[in-house]
Amino acid sequence: MTIKNLTKKYEASVGVENLNLEIKDGEFFILLGPSGCGKSTTLLCVAGLLKPDSGEIWLGDKLVTSVERDLYVTPQKRGVAMVFQDYALYPHMTVFGNIAFPLEVSGKSKTEVETRVKAAAESLGIFQFLDRKPKQLSGGQRQRVALGRAIVREPEVFLMDEPLANLDAKLRVHMRAELKNLHQKLGTTTLYVTHDQVEAMSIGDRIAIQKDGILQQVGTPEGVYDRPRNMFVGGFIGSPAMNMLEGNLVKKDGNSEIDIGISTFELPDWAEEAVKEAKRSEIVLGIRPEHTTIIAEYRKNAIQAKVSFVELIGRELNVHLTAREEPLIAIAEPTERLEIGKRVWLAFDESKIHIFDKESQEALF
Amino acid sequence: MTLPKPERIILYILLAFFIFTSVLPLWTCVMTALKTPQDVIYTMPLEPPPSPTLEPMIQAFEIMKRPLLNSFAFTMFATIFSCILGSINGYILTKIRFRGSEVVFLLLAIGIFIPYQTVLIPLVMTMSRLGLYNTIEGLILTHTAYGIPICTLLFRNFYEDIPESLMRAAKTDGAGTWTIFRRIVLPLSPPMFAVAGVFQFTGIWNDFLFGLVLARGTEALPASVALANLKGTTTAFWNVQMAGAWWYALPVVIIYLILGKYLIQGYMAGSVKG
Repeated sequence: MTIKNLTKKYEASVGVENLNLEIKDGEFFILLGPSGCGKSTTLLCVAGLLKPDSGEIWLGDKLVTSVERDLYVTPQKRGVAMVFQDYALYPHMTVFGNIAFPLEVSGKSKTEVETRVKAAAESLGIFQFLDRKPKQLSGGQRQRVALGRAIVREPEVFLMDEPLANLDAKLRVHMRAELKNLHQKLGTTTLYVTHDQVEAMSIGDRIAIQKDGILQQVGTPEGVYDRPRNMFVGGFIGSPAMNMLEGNLVKKDGNSEIDIGISTFELPDWAEEAVKEAKRSEIVLGIRPEHTTIIAEYRKNAIQAKVSFVELIGRELNVHLTAREEPLIAIAEPTERLEIGKRVWLAFDESKIHIFDKESQEALF
Repeated sequence: MTLPKPERIILYILLAFFIFTSVLPLWTCVMTALKTPQDVIYTMPLEPPPSPTLEPMIQAFEIMKRPLLNSFAFTMFATIFSCILGSINGYILTKIRFRGSEVVFLLLAIGIFIPYQTVLIPLVMTMSRLGLYNTIEGLILTHTAYGIPICTLLFRNFYEDIPESLMRAAKTDGAGTWTIFRRIVLPLSPPMFAVAGVFQFTGIWNDFLFGLVLARGTEALPASVALANLKGTTTAFWNVQMAGAWWYALPVVIIYLILGKYLIQGYMAGSVKG
């Protein structure tokens, strides 16, 4: 699936701007971003439910949308199956009727419809509900019916618009794994929209992060986590969010340091090269909470901070601190004794730091 | 058991009073319809008949038979046609939308406010040119056309609430405009058909003006006009008139009883989350 220069503007806001994406055959591809970032708009354009203002969309080697060539294939003829956030089940039909609908519409024989619907229901564990109406089902069951309606057609592409957003937390984690399994079994190219970064990281082969209609970064979950291209991606991916400290690049004895006001941070050698090309000295130092450790004694590059509160989240502690009036988070062992108001030292894993240009917000490396 | 509070008692007294005033005319009507001509003259309207008789009911039925049949025919057809057209219009105006669909809707909605009287003369002329003057078909056409605006409005508002994702799902499932209407939208519409149906049926059945100017003689005479004609020119046969009123009211009551349960049915439950 290829998306070229896709733009769709709304009266009040930008939907998508000049989006270019190439999704490989069989890939589980995630569109991730906060609400209103244009990810759903992209999905609707691919489905043919929205006409873009400009750009091209290819499904395989079939051109389905091209504003420039005035070409637009209707959603009915695209061979894509879509799963919606609100499930969009036909309320007057039984589960069987819902799953059978796309097959019946395409004129399949009665026996074929029956075999395929039953096979799909079997694989999703909803066989016993075939005679029920959607309103007699729980959220998770409805979600499965919606999936059944999509897989029964054996489409070339799955489009999923936040399919798990309406489920409760526990079920969501469960369905996530099931979706991943389903994808591995069917191998169908999937374009999946979500605002939940944990969901994106856990099921995506690759992730595209969008903000305000503009693509920020595309990469594997590890790639976008370890090497965020800008401050937005760095802050959006990962929970708790990345710590960000503003500072200035300064030279001292031929080495580069970051002056963060209350102390200085000496850059490791590997980062030295990258900051050489920095045009401005105002930068932001980013470091993830899991690479931030609380230590008792001062050592080089550590900064002082005050504990403001502690969250126990099971196997670890999220320690919220303030340094220079700014909030920071560190991960600690639950055995650690940390009183509120206590002054501690924070050490950063020097191999895991990120440096962003303050003005452009781009990563320096 | 606790004794009802004073406010409750006052409420019941008030309610009883209102029930009494609204049942009073019906009571008078039934009592009079069961009286002989002599009893009508010698008893008070509110009094029960001293010698009850079905004679007025039979007499009225004889006169009203054909007009009732006429009314039933054109009301039935005009109700069905205007509801179907309203449903199609509502679907297109909400779920298909096209350039200028809002303007079309606005113009249609204006139709609701056109008084019958303003179109009477052109209507009669049009009907005679079409050869439909004094025919059932002419009345069907008139009432259908006049019902389109209100039916469109009702169905449009109803279809606004059908979630857009349902339409999108159906489209990606491969269903075309007509298939979506037939297989998704129509099956969700019975509650609205009941509401619009009752509305149209009572409206058309009770219409007097169109019937009066578009029909004469007996072939196409509506029951509403026939009922008015029972009044006579010299003598007033109260009992026959009241009996006629009962025959006239009967079909509407039956329609209410049949469609009533659909009026309160929530068909949309379970389509989306929640």
